[in-house]
Amino acid sequence: MESWRKNPVVFWLLNLPPAFWLFVFFLVPLGIVWVISFGEKRGVIDIEITWTLANYVRAVEPLYLEIFWKSIVMAGIATLACLIVGYPVAFAIAFAPERLKAILLIAVVLPFWINALIRTYALIAVFRSRGSINFGLEWLWEQANALLGLVGLGELALLGEKFVPVPLLYNNTAVTLGIVYAFFPFMVLPLYANIEKIDRSYIEASLDLGAGQWRTFFSVIFPLTWHGVLSGVIIVFVPALGAFFIPDLLGGTDSQLIGNVIERQFKSANDWPFGGALSFLLMYLTFGALALRAAVSGRKQGLEA
Amino acid sequence: MDAPDGRRDLPPIILLVVYSFNDSRRNIVWRGFTFKYYEKAWNTESLIEAFVNSLAIAVVNTAVATILGVLVAIALWRFRFPGKAAYEGFMMLPIVIPEICMGVAMMAFFARVGWPTGLPWPLTLSNIMIAHIAFSFPFVAVTVRGRLVGFNRELEDASKDLGASEWQTMRYIVLPYLRPGIIAGALIAFTLSLDDFVITFFTAGPNSVTLPVKIFSMVRFSVTPEVNAASTVLIVITVIATVLAMRFQSPSRRAGGEEG
Amino acid sequence: MHKSLGRRFSRRGFLAGTGAAAVGITFAPKVGWGVEEPKLNFYNWDTYIGETTLGDFSKAAGIEVKMDLYADNDELFAKLKEGNPGYDVIVPTNDYVERMLAAKMLLPINRGLITNFKNIDPAFQDAAFDPGRKHSMPYMWGTQGIGYRKSAVSSPPDSWKVLLDSDEYSGRIALLSEGIIEAALKYLGYSYNSTDPGEIKQAEALLIKQKPHIKVFAEDNGQDLLLSGEVDLTMEWNGDILQVMEEDDDISYVVPKEGSNVWQDCLCIPAGAPHPENAHKFINYILDAKAGAAIAEFIYYATPNKASRALLGDDYNKNPAIFPTEETLARCEPSLYLGEKLERIREESLTRIFAA
Repeated sequence: MESWRKNPVVFWLLNLPPAFWLFVFFLVPLGIVWVISFGEKRGVIDIEITWTLANYVRAVEPLYLEIFWKSIVMAGIATLACLIVGYPVAFAIAFAPERLKAILLIAVVLPFWINALIRTYALIAVFRSRGSINFGLEWLWEQANALLGLVGLGELALLGEKFVPVPLLYNNTAVTLGIVYAFFPFMVLPLYANIEKIDRSYIEASLDLGAGQWRTFFSVIFPLTWHGVLSGVIIVFVPALGAFFIPDLLGGTDSQLIGNVIERQFKSANDWPFGGALSFLLMYLTFGALALRAAVSGRKQGLEA
Repeated sequence: MDAPDGRRDLPPIILLVVYSFNDSRRNIVWRGFTFKYYEKAWNTESLIEAFVNSLAIAVVNTAVATILGVLVAIALWRFRFPGKAAYEGFMMLPIVIPEICMGVAMMAFFARVGWPTGLPWPLTLSNIMIAHIAFSFPFVAVTVRGRLVGFNRELEDASKDLGASEWQTMRYIVLPYLRPGIIAGALIAFTLSLDDFVITFFTAGPNSVTLPVKIFSMVRFSVTPEVNAASTVLIVITVIATVLAMRFQSPSRRAGGEEG
Repeated sequence: MHKSLGRRFSRRGFLAGTGAAAVGITFAPKVGWGVEEPKLNFYNWDTYIGETTLGDFSKAAGIEVKMDLYADNDELFAKLKEGNPGYDVIVPTNDYVERMLAAKMLLPINRGLITNFKNIDPAFQDAAFDPGRKHSMPYMWGTQGIGYRKSAVSSPPDSWKVLLDSDEYSGRIALLSEGIIEAALKYLGYSYNSTDPGEIKQAEALLIKQKPHIKVFAEDNGQDLLLSGEVDLTMEWNGDILQVMEEDDDISYVVPKEGSNVWQDCLCIPAGAPHPENAHKFINYILDAKAGAAIAEFIYYATPNKASRALLGDDYNKNPAIFPTEETLARCEPSLYLGEKLERIREESLTRIFAA
């Protein structure tokens, strides 16, 4: 890495446009909410900035901390699931013939070019008691019963008197699945960009030297794509933390995540100072985690060097 | 309440397409085949307008956000400078922030600076475009950076040693190497923009409604086949556009060399 | 030139402080009024206007109407809170009319321009939430209650008890995510608008106790859950259930005997509306007997327009799910805007219920 002094013109050319955009169109707007989070409500829309910490004190009450924790766990599980499903997909695309690559990439993102909400509703149509999956299961159940009837076990009703639909919707599993479905391409795309650059000769060398498929994967391929994994994990996990309409639509009676609470503050509760405080707390938490990761990977790099 | 047949185990998107032909005001029970919702969607001027708005925003957003994202990624990869860690942190903020908080921040910002509202067409979308670019370029940066990490720096040095200018090195060495990362990043930016509802909702005015905002308010009461019809049209158009784009792109790809 | 500049920028004082702006601001209202461009931005709920109403109005008045949609009052409020992005007519519910009035977010309506006001049922010509009807005109009204599948219940669920304090239909119940505390208050025999923290606490405890039997806290889509067979009972607004009753004879609607919520949506002009004069014309058109009848017939909500009702048949006028009996209505209460402090108490209660 070179010092910026060595090449100030290039440095500023590269940095000025994004820094300007970030500052004017992101940090300034965000600053407004940050200031509001230190305010007190005085009327329906009047907020007086008193630099009180009351909103933050309220945000760390056990009630909200528990919801924070629950959100972290759910987003974590969903991210892991995304990684497990996304890695093979990204791998397949990266090693596909050049011609197919673009088509496969598009195939991954295409469903995401229609509205997220419609997608979630489509998911409901598949999962609900009288949805596709349960109809499929019912069909299997009928076939199995018919089979049992054939072998003379029909009377015993081994599979129950009546098909009971599996409750796939309105619980935390449905929320996790919904998040995985919603953020899938954000895992696949960075992984693809990383896997694609692996030097094939490493893999061949590993296989030639007698390492098995699994071993090659875990000790050669996976470490080489570590940065892609991290990028993917960050851009899935972090937005998943703030998800709110997925738990709204797919969740059961106990699927409230911190995103829902924040949303209500900005909407029905009309409590912007508290909504701001919760949002910033969420951001500080994420930043803590990211800093931790930077420290860990920094040390790792140091060891490797 | 009879079980509608012929729809077992269909993937969600296909189900959506199938149901756009459903002859029922609601989308729950199959009541026969019809084209009337396509006719209805087509005649709903506002749906088409919203669609055009969405596409315009997504295209501009993808172009600008990709450029900004690549610039940041290269700068962070190449240079050492004081305050770099903090700078990197701030760049991550748009990814970290809850959508609704950013939406509210943008609304408050545009209201406070008095962003003009009665502008002629593409400009009415300017505030949404600005907001979309602000939240999507860091996603591009993260993706591109992931790709840059393993870049063999000696290639760059060699290029410069051989007398290539800064620009030539960038154009012929760095960018071709980055290509898959840039494509992935651009796809993310396009997807984010086309899909965003929350931030757009808070920044949109009467003349800048996008398809997700339009659909969201329709869908909250019930998913009508009209919505499915509009979405199906959207899928078809994007597929055609993508295929065409790929057709046009492939010759230049050949010419651009095999590195990447 | 000044004219158009003024209209575009003056509202938010984009050029405030500069000489150009001073010209714009002084001239714009005077010039703008009278030669208002023939446009109107209408911000409404989805499926809440007649099939041809907007086109008919455009033809009659030569004003082009653009309709945008919002999904709930909170969205409408949040959107207008920081300044009107350009809407001329909005349709808030009574308690939000009150809230917006408290925040000075509505323009007064010039009664002289609303000649069709005489069509309105006298009972709706005044309103507690807007004394003297200075800022709002009634649009539609209705109740909240229980939608249910007739074949799945032993007897009509005419009490909140079935939903809130019983395991008879365990796992087959949907509640809305808003208004549940209020319904529980009503069931416990308190006011729908109770301000007593102790009573709210009791309602909260009741709901937490009932949670294992509830399948889902629905957004405003209980009717879809009912129609698809996902649940057999749901708390919902009457209009939503009416729409699915058309599709499925096995669905019905009842207002619980403990009483419930009666609501009224109003036509209002938000502060900062760019075309206030057109807004008056539009509101007046909607209050017209024929136009109002066409809307009511299409959306199937109760209209406060007496002249419109006279044009409609018994199918509509005698439908008990649209027009509840006097007796039922007497037990219902409108929700009131109770101030920001109480909003917070209820919000915290809601968070605890969902988290439990």
